[in-house]
Amino acid sequence: MNDALSPVAPRASGRAGFRRTILAGFAAFSLTPQPFAGVVHETTSAYHHILVVDQRGRRTLSFDGSEETRMSLANPLQGHFEYVEYFFTPWLWNTNISNVLMLGLGGGSIQRLYAAHCPTVTIDTVEVDAAVQRVAGQYFNFNTGPRQRVFVQDGRMFLRRSNARYDLILLDAYTRGRYGSAIPHHLATREFFTLAREHLTADGVLAYNVIGTLNGYRADIVGSVYRTMKTVFPEVHLFPATESLNIVLVGTVRPVQVTPAWLKERTETVVNRGLVKLPTFAQRVSAFRAMPPANVERCPLLTDDFAPVDGLLGNTR
Amino acid sequence: MASFAAVGLMFAGGFIVMILEIIGARYLASEFGGSFYVWVSQIGVVMIALAAGYYLGGALADRWQCLRRMAWLLVPAGGLVLTVPDYAPPLLEAIVLRHPADAPIPMVWQKLDPALGSAVVFLTPCLVLAMLPPYLIRISARGITHLGRLSGRIIAWSTLGSIAGVFVAGYFLIDWLRLTTIFRSAGIAILLLGLLCHPLSRAFAPEPVRDESGADHE
Repeated sequence: MNDALSPVAPRASGRAGFRRTILAGFAAFSLTPQPFAGVVHETTSAYHHILVVDQRGRRTLSFDGSEETRMSLANPLQGHFEYVEYFFTPWLWNTNISNVLMLGLGGGSIQRLYAAHCPTVTIDTVEVDAAVQRVAGQYFNFNTGPRQRVFVQDGRMFLRRSNARYDLILLDAYTRGRYGSAIPHHLATREFFTLAREHLTADGVLAYNVIGTLNGYRADIVGSVYRTMKTVFPEVHLFPATESLNIVLVGTVRPVQVTPAWLKERTETVVNRGLVKLPTFAQRVSAFRAMPPANVERCPLLTDDFAPVDGLLGNTR
Repeated sequence: MASFAAVGLMFAGGFIVMILEIIGARYLASEFGGSFYVWVSQIGVVMIALAAGYYLGGALADRWQCLRRMAWLLVPAGGLVLTVPDYAPPLLEAIVLRHPADAPIPMVWQKLDPALGSAVVFLTPCLVLAMLPPYLIRISARGITHLGRLSGRIIAWSTLGSIAGVFVAGYFLIDWLRLTTIFRSAGIAILLLGLLCHPLSRAFAPEPVRDESGADHE
C-alpha cells in the first residue's frame, strides 16, 4: 500500500558514484526511516524492526521501514488508512455480527474503529508478534478487555486449535518491507480458507486485505487469492480501495445474489438500524465490484502444496 | 575416477540437504504457522543432523572402509524422504493437537514444537547425507601427504552443493513444483545415490594405506 514511500537509492555512475550509492544504502538502513522524524519508540522483535513516529499531528507505526498504521494524535478514530474501513462491509451480508476474529493487530486501527462504531461486538485478535501488542497498547490506544482479547500466536495455529465460531473473520496479516509486501503463504491457501470457513457461523463472512490491483501492480496475487477463496466460499466480492493499492476481498458462507437494489437496501438497513456508525460506510460500500478479476483463469490456485507467493506472484508489474 | 565420483557424491549430498532444509521450512509452516521459531527450528535441527552425521560418518568409515555399505543407509533415507508427504502429516498434527484446545500453547512449546516437527521429518535423512563427507575423505585417502587438500576439496564440494541447493530451492523449486513433488524427487535422488554406491565403490577400491614412512597401516 505504501511501497511508493520506500526510499530509493540515488542514481549514480562511475566508481565513486557506486560507492556513494552503497553508502547511501547503508545510511538508509541505519536511519530508518527518516532522521528528522519524531521517533517516539523503537524496538526490534523477532519479526520486525518496529518504529513509532509522531509527525505533523499524526502517529505512524512502521515495520521494517514500511507504514502499517496511521493515527491522528488529536483523534485516534481519524487518520487511519482508508482500506481498513472496508472491513465494515461484511455487515451487508450479516447484520447479527457479535463475534469477530481478526488475524493481525498492527496498530489496532480496525479494533479501535470497531470498538467505536460497533460497540457491542467482541473481537479476538491473533497477532504473532508480542512486541506488536505492547506497542499497540502503549502508543495506539489499543486496550484489551472483555470485548478485546489478544492471542499472541500464529493465526493459522490459533484457528486450528480453536473450537470457537465467529460471525466474521478479518485478515490483515501482510508483512511489508522495502522490497514491497509479502503475503504469508500459509494464510492464503485453500487449506487455510477451508479452516477459516469451518470457524464461521452459518451467515459468516471473511474479509481479506490484499495488497495489489485488479489489472496492474500485483494483479496476479489478487487473482490467485480470489480464485483460491472462490473454491471455498460460494460468493467472493471485491472492494478496491480508492486511495491506495489495496483490495478487500469478501467471501460469504451463504450464497447471495448481489444486485444494486440489494446493496442499496442492505446499506440502508445497516445504517438506519445503527449497526455500523462509521460515517463513511455507504461511501465504502459504493466501491463494491461484482466482476471477478479479469486474470483469474491465468492465476494459480494456492494450496499448501503449491503456493508460489514469493516468486511467481511477487512480480511487480 | 575416484576423485570425480567423490566430488559428484559430495555435491549431490550437500545439494539435497539444503533442498530439504529450505522447502522443509515451507512445509512445516502449514502445520506450525509462520512463526519465527519455524525457521529457527529448521536451521537448528539440520545443524544437529550435520554434527551427528559427521561424527557417525567418520566412525563408520573407519569401520566399513567401503562405499558400498553406505547404500544400506542411503537407500532407507531416500525411502523416508520419498514418503514424507504420506507419513509426516499425522505425526506433525499429533504434535500440534496434543495441547488442549482453546488454551494458549505454553511459550516453551511454541518454541520447541516446530523443532520436534522438524526433527521427526528431517533429522534422519539429513544425518545420513551428512555422513558422506567424512566417509568419502576416509575412503579416498591414500596416505596423509595430500590429506589436507583432499579433505578440503571434499568438504568444499559438499558446501558448494549446499549453496546451490539453497538458491535452487528458494528461487526456483518453490515457484515451479509442488512440495510433494520436491519431496518425492529428493527421495528418489537419495535412493539413486545409494544405488550408485555399488558401482562407484570399485573406484575407491581399498588398498593398503601408506604414510610417509612406507609402513602399512591396518
